[in-house]
Amino acid sequence: MASSLNPVDHGWRKHLPLVNAFVRYGLLILVGFLMIYPLLWMIGGAFKNNAEIFSSVGFIPKAPTTDGFINGWKTSTEYSFATYLLNTMKIVVPKVIVTVISSVIVAYGFARFAIPGRKWLFALLMATVLLPKSVLLIPQYLMFREFGWLDTYLPLYAPQAFATEGFFVFMIIQFMRSLPLDMEEAAVMDGCNSFQVLTLIVCPVILPAIISVALFQFMWSMNDFLQPLIYLSSVEKYPVALALKMSIDVTEATSWNEILAMSTIALAPSLILFFVAQKYFVEGVTSGAVKG
Amino acid sequence: MYSNKWIGSLYVTPFVIGFLLFTAFPFVASFLLSLTDARLQDQLGAANFVGLSNYSEMAADSTFRQSLGVTFAYVFITVPLKLAFALFIAVVLNFKLKGIGLFRTAFYLPSILGGSVAIAVVWRFVFAGDGLLNQALSGIGIGSVNWLGEPTTAMFSIVLLRLWQFGSAMVVFLAGLKAIPEDLYEAADLDGASRLKQFFLITLPLLTPVLFFNFIMQIVQAFQEFNGPYIITAGGPLKSSYLLPLMIYEEAFKYFNLGYSSALSWVLFIIIALFTAVAFWSQKHWVFYAQDRDDKGGH
Amino acid sequence: MTPVSLTQVDNQKQAEQKWGNVSIDSVRLTDVRKTFNGHEVIKGVSLEVKKGELVVFVGPSGCGKSTLLRLIAGLETPTSGQIDISGRDVTYAHPSKRGVAMVFQSYALYPHMTVFDNIAFALKIQGLPKDEITHKVNAAAETLQLTHLLKRRPKALSGGQRQRVAIGRAIVREPDVFLFDEPLSNLDAALRGQMRVEIARLHTKLNATSVYVTHDQVEAMTLADKIVVLNAGRIEQVGSPLDLYRKPANLFVAGFIGSPRMNTLKARVRDVSNDAVKLDLPQTILSVPRQGAEVPQGASVTFGVRPENLHLATEDEDAHLNGYVILIERLGGETFAYVALKDQEGDPLIMKLDGEVSLHNHQAVGLKIDLNRAHLFSEDGQAIGVSPDFAHQTDGSVHV
Repeated sequence: MASSLNPVDHGWRKHLPLVNAFVRYGLLILVGFLMIYPLLWMIGGAFKNNAEIFSSVGFIPKAPTTDGFINGWKTSTEYSFATYLLNTMKIVVPKVIVTVISSVIVAYGFARFAIPGRKWLFALLMATVLLPKSVLLIPQYLMFREFGWLDTYLPLYAPQAFATEGFFVFMIIQFMRSLPLDMEEAAVMDGCNSFQVLTLIVCPVILPAIISVALFQFMWSMNDFLQPLIYLSSVEKYPVALALKMSIDVTEATSWNEILAMSTIALAPSLILFFVAQKYFVEGVTSGAVKG
Repeated sequence: MYSNKWIGSLYVTPFVIGFLLFTAFPFVASFLLSLTDARLQDQLGAANFVGLSNYSEMAADSTFRQSLGVTFAYVFITVPLKLAFALFIAVVLNFKLKGIGLFRTAFYLPSILGGSVAIAVVWRFVFAGDGLLNQALSGIGIGSVNWLGEPTTAMFSIVLLRLWQFGSAMVVFLAGLKAIPEDLYEAADLDGASRLKQFFLITLPLLTPVLFFNFIMQIVQAFQEFNGPYIITAGGPLKSSYLLPLMIYEEAFKYFNLGYSSALSWVLFIIIALFTAVAFWSQKHWVFYAQDRDDKGGH
Repeated sequence: MTPVSLTQVDNQKQAEQKWGNVSIDSVRLTDVRKTFNGHEVIKGVSLEVKKGELVVFVGPSGCGKSTLLRLIAGLETPTSGQIDISGRDVTYAHPSKRGVAMVFQSYALYPHMTVFDNIAFALKIQGLPKDEITHKVNAAAETLQLTHLLKRRPKALSGGQRQRVAIGRAIVREPDVFLFDEPLSNLDAALRGQMRVEIARLHTKLNATSVYVTHDQVEAMTLADKIVVLNAGRIEQVGSPLDLYRKPANLFVAGFIGSPRMNTLKARVRDVSNDAVKLDLPQTILSVPRQGAEVPQGASVTFGVRPENLHLATEDEDAHLNGYVILIERLGGETFAYVALKDQEGDPLIMKLDGEVSLHNHQAVGLKIDLNRAHLFSEDGQAIGVSPDFAHQTDGSVHV
């Protein structure tokens, strides 16, 4: 829609671009504000006292207090919020590492080798992206029960060690395919075997894609609720997701500021990471859509 | 590039193992389970084969019918609305604006955080009797609504939660819009086409691949929504927001009916598969790819 | 001309001890064939590259020259035939174990490494000790004037500099054979000329055996000790640049080597003798000095003459051919005139004239041919005999 900025003809039409911009800005600001408001309200509410939360629409606290944070951190369980945060990290960090490693390895196989049945395998890979995971839930649960893995973190990241997230493998395959072959050929001539080519040459060059994968998996895992819900039964192992849910079941009707405070803390890592590494998110999402 | 097929197979082996173990096997097992009366607390061996009785029971189950209806309503409302809104904002945003990055962040952020428990918890506050939304409405003069307490309005909270997350679809649309070459619009200008015409005759057709992608992703995700109903409404009141994934979960982990739950999950799967298949099949009628589809490209 | 690497000197000494003062072949191809997807791209190629030679593979797009190079490199395996390097059969050997190093068309530098690390990479993989690596890399860098760039990344380098890093990467491995895959095609014209000179100098300095692929016949002519002309997977001719220029074995080579192209005219043989062939040409009858010509009377032949061997007939000379000028290209130092023959159809003849020549379009001109520099080809494109000027000259080339 570039033409809209070029001054057209005569008379009132000359002002069209300005009106256009004005309308656009206005709309975007309004919608943007509405979108962000729940978050602002959450953060603001974390700093309010309880009575204030439900008495005003504004998000800026009239009498800011850190009570919500201090009390919320202690939680009404025997563990502080620190435990839950740590648990979340114990799940998410291995999961991300294992996802990246297995996805890169499998992607390289698809991208650079003439594997027998490659087309079929690739079709299966794409199928896992679209497959509704809900249909696998119960048998996976039973399987992990047989392994004796209930109430451990293993079911939450063991499958990822096998490149089960087709979307990530696909993303990396696309990135690898866009690399010129002769760089890898040069490495072969320099004496590398395929694994050395992958680790010493290809991985550093596809780092942006790897980072995108890591970031996405980090976000998705931070938000993961159903999986921890069905596999973890000891409170001491709960990640933040389960701890938060527990807090709205358990808490007496008055400590909303604590809940909001803890919610804010729960979202903080994702928020910070998002602002720091925004472009990787955008590129990751679009690489699958526009090129695929 | 490498001619050694065996080493190549080695690289792909993790995926093959993972697929068989964590996808193919559970997939088949799920169907088999749906033909039994397995209970969660028992050993598997204690289950009996009951044929299709779970499915016939389902047909007669009024809760199931209500859940199915609610789920369809949810999907048919949220997906078109979300896509339309995402496209609309993407079009508005596709402009040489200053600060476009800022707006993109503002819109994209909710979809990054939206799937989390924290947001679901906040949402419950927003829709509470004296929550944010009611306060805002009172402020403008409309009275408060008992959102979560009335069967007619409870759905609205989870619908709005999903719509709030239109950012990821918008980002994809934006990329698709930017991929359309400027000179097409310039040529159309010279030919005298109005901008509205340009949108329908140039933009939309060239966006169809992206539309298709978004459409499929949104449908598959919408049918599997769990966090919202579980945390915000608990499926109620009176099962008015009892989406299928929630029912599947409760049947298995609350009522311990593994067989029935598996049957439910298979019905959900078939529904999603049908929608996906129809969408793929319909591609050739409405999706326009700029390249030849037979272009094998690369290596 | 001291060779840089000790290994090369040793090899030469050993070879001399074994076979006396014999120059060993660095590369030998024996009836090599390659098929891709049922399509045969290399159709039985045999050739030898002697130690210290710079051999150029040249030919039109798709002739198989790059494939041949990649077969020598080991990036492809032949469908049949054998490849020997320095006396060893390497037909199925791993690329890094053949004693070859390759300079890629797009340089293939590792973007995330510094120039130093790029050059050092192969040595690192080999497991050489750190000081030895540093020593060798610095030596290579000095030879190529890269010392001040060692800490930079490829993206901070110009095209010519990247090229030199690619060459440095090859030099440092002290290979038996250097392989160049169209290394100058990605450079602009001015840089290309410059780098051509540098490569020629480097070759002399290192006395390195090299196989060089290009589609540019100017590069081939200027750099090669020996040229291999390829067409559709087969060798058309092998020889020194001048040999190929003066004595092309067939029409293809005659038309490919030399720019602008050789002019051709259809003719018929009137008479053949020991030292001349009389031809019926359009507009005239000519007796072309030829030795060793074996062609029957009445045969249909192609008469060829290069642009620089056509002259404007002076006033007191009889012209061989008559025509008029249809296009003049003045380059300053020389002029190319396109002359259409009177009452003849077909392509105009191209003449190379002095830069200052006075000529105008549509001017009627008479042409004189330097018959000692003419060429003759049979109906199937093969050369007929040879000009007496070149009959006893050889440049040590090999006719295939």
